[in-house]
Amino acid sequence: MLGLSFLIFLIKRFAMMAISLVVIISISYTLLRYAPGNYLDTQRAYQTMSTQINQNSEAYRVQRALFEERYGLNKPLYQQIWVYISKAATFKFGPSFQTPSVLIEDMVRERLPRTLIIVLLGIGLALVVGIPMGVLAGFRRNTWIDYIVTGFSMIGQVVPVYVLAIMLILIFAGRVWNILPGGGWSTPTPKPQELILPVLTLALGPIAGIARFTRNQVAETMSQEFIRTARSKGVPEQLVIMRHALRNSLIPVVTTTAPQIAYALVGSVWIESIFRIPGIGQLFATALAARDYPLMITSVVVLALGVMLANLLADILYSVLDPRIKLEA
Amino acid sequence: MAVSKTLSPTAVDTVPQPETLLQVFWRRYRRNTMAVIGLVLVIIFILIAIFAPWIAPYHYNDQNLRNTWQPPSAEHIFGTDDLGRDQLSRVIYAVRTAAIVGLGASALSLLIGAVIGSISGMRGGWTDTILMRLVEIFNSFPAILLAVILATNLGQSVTTIVIALAITGWAGYARLIRGQVLALKNQEYVHAARTLGASEQHVITKYVLPNILGPIAVALSFGIPYAMIAEAGLSVIGVGIRPPEPSWGNLIQLGINKMRGFPYLAIWPTLLFSLTLLAFTWFGDGLQEIFNAKGER
Repeated sequence: MLGLSFLIFLIKRFAMMAISLVVIISISYTLLRYAPGNYLDTQRAYQTMSTQINQNSEAYRVQRALFEERYGLNKPLYQQIWVYISKAATFKFGPSFQTPSVLIEDMVRERLPRTLIIVLLGIGLALVVGIPMGVLAGFRRNTWIDYIVTGFSMIGQVVPVYVLAIMLILIFAGRVWNILPGGGWSTPTPKPQELILPVLTLALGPIAGIARFTRNQVAETMSQEFIRTARSKGVPEQLVIMRHALRNSLIPVVTTTAPQIAYALVGSVWIESIFRIPGIGQLFATALAARDYPLMITSVVVLALGVMLANLLADILYSVLDPRIKLEA
Repeated sequence: MAVSKTLSPTAVDTVPQPETLLQVFWRRYRRNTMAVIGLVLVIIFILIAIFAPWIAPYHYNDQNLRNTWQPPSAEHIFGTDDLGRDQLSRVIYAVRTAAIVGLGASALSLLIGAVIGSISGMRGGWTDTILMRLVEIFNSFPAILLAVILATNLGQSVTTIVIALAITGWAGYARLIRGQVLALKNQEYVHAARTLGASEQHVITKYVLPNILGPIAVALSFGIPYAMIAEAGLSVIGVGIRPPEPSWGNLIQLGINKMRGFPYLAIWPTLLFSLTLLAFTWFGDGLQEIFNAKGER
């Protein structure tokens, strides 16, 4: 398994990831280059003196030239992309527009762990809750347990995170029943009660997805020949479930966890903005509002990289757990 | 023919008419209760979207600054917002915006996906390899992030949001259609048409496309709510459709901002938005059952 073919597989996958990132970066750079409303203009809009500095004035032009010089915006587009990519390859992203004295890589280093805490707690919760729910529904097909689980997972899969966030805040941090904080994040270590609502919001979608997938897997396994064989040769039902059914139906659940991690990482953009958590997602949202292009592109790159790594990990895990699956890039 | 001539006219009358294709579909579709409820809700949704100006008690931008932040009352069933606008009317018009964005973005995505997918499937070879690698790249990372950047670039009107979502959402359709084209390409009737000298375009539009309408309908019924979720998502982080034009997104965004002091504004948009999304999902599940198209989105 860990032989040459695995090495080739890894190389191919990493090459594909690198190409994808280069394509994403190039598209984003090109789009932003021609976007209306640049950073200086949005900043001027926030300042009271903005009316005094006319766009055609000498002062504005000098300021703009200095700004473009500092961030290399006066170079041709392909050069800017190339400079960004070659620096990004060594995890250097330079300063952002908003905070010229702080390097983006330092912000990422500071904020990424917070996003990961929420995402991993959410996915962990989803696995702990979702799998038993799915297993139960799969074994008790077409009973009220099954209907409740199926109904719940349908709602959980459809309703977007920002809607869930609002509902949970209205219920648990509203006027009627104010028992949990509706946002915030204490530094350096967050309080446990601050984590509850964001993690719950993030976990509901994955719980639903995992429960539904597990249910279908279990139901399919239970209808297969080897289960009937095991039963007919007199294996006790408990052993049939534990030894034959569960093992065969839970392995594929690994594959559905990767898209759930991807979903959670992307969802963190909304969850962190709504719950005011200073993570990567919030970084992206604030960068958008300020037209802070280096910061926008970097947060997209970090999130996209996370999604790709999750997919890669799932593929590898799946082939380890089920030797019949061959890794192919 | 010979047999039918020997039958008496009365006997012919008793022979039941064969079911049309639509009747077959409906007979299978209505077995699923949730799917029927979904269909009814989707129809209501579309009717509200079409007749919004006649249903809404006020115009969506009728402001009344002496009557802001009103809780629900007989005059304003959902209350009023920060500018004294009738929230019910804004919700009704938001349905219309959502319909335009949902249908527009997924139709446009489908068009791009259909062109790329069918070229890829029919040509094969190098064209196929390159196009499918492109699809893979688009599928390997969350498209919504690119849509966000695109929306900041294009500006934030209904049209530009539709374009942004279409450009980032075509990859799934392209892969679906390529797969279908590959499956159909070697069918005998396609070979026959080819042999008779039909052009590639003729083969695609006359033989291939009609045969893949089922899977396309299923993909669309899941693509439409996805586009609505994306549109609202863009608004929540501040790059969606700009007010005063109401959309689910900017209603929800206002709801989030004012949630502390005035929770009424958040409740109805979020509940009705969720119901809309559920309706489309039930509808899609029903379609998927009758066409028995497994997988794909």
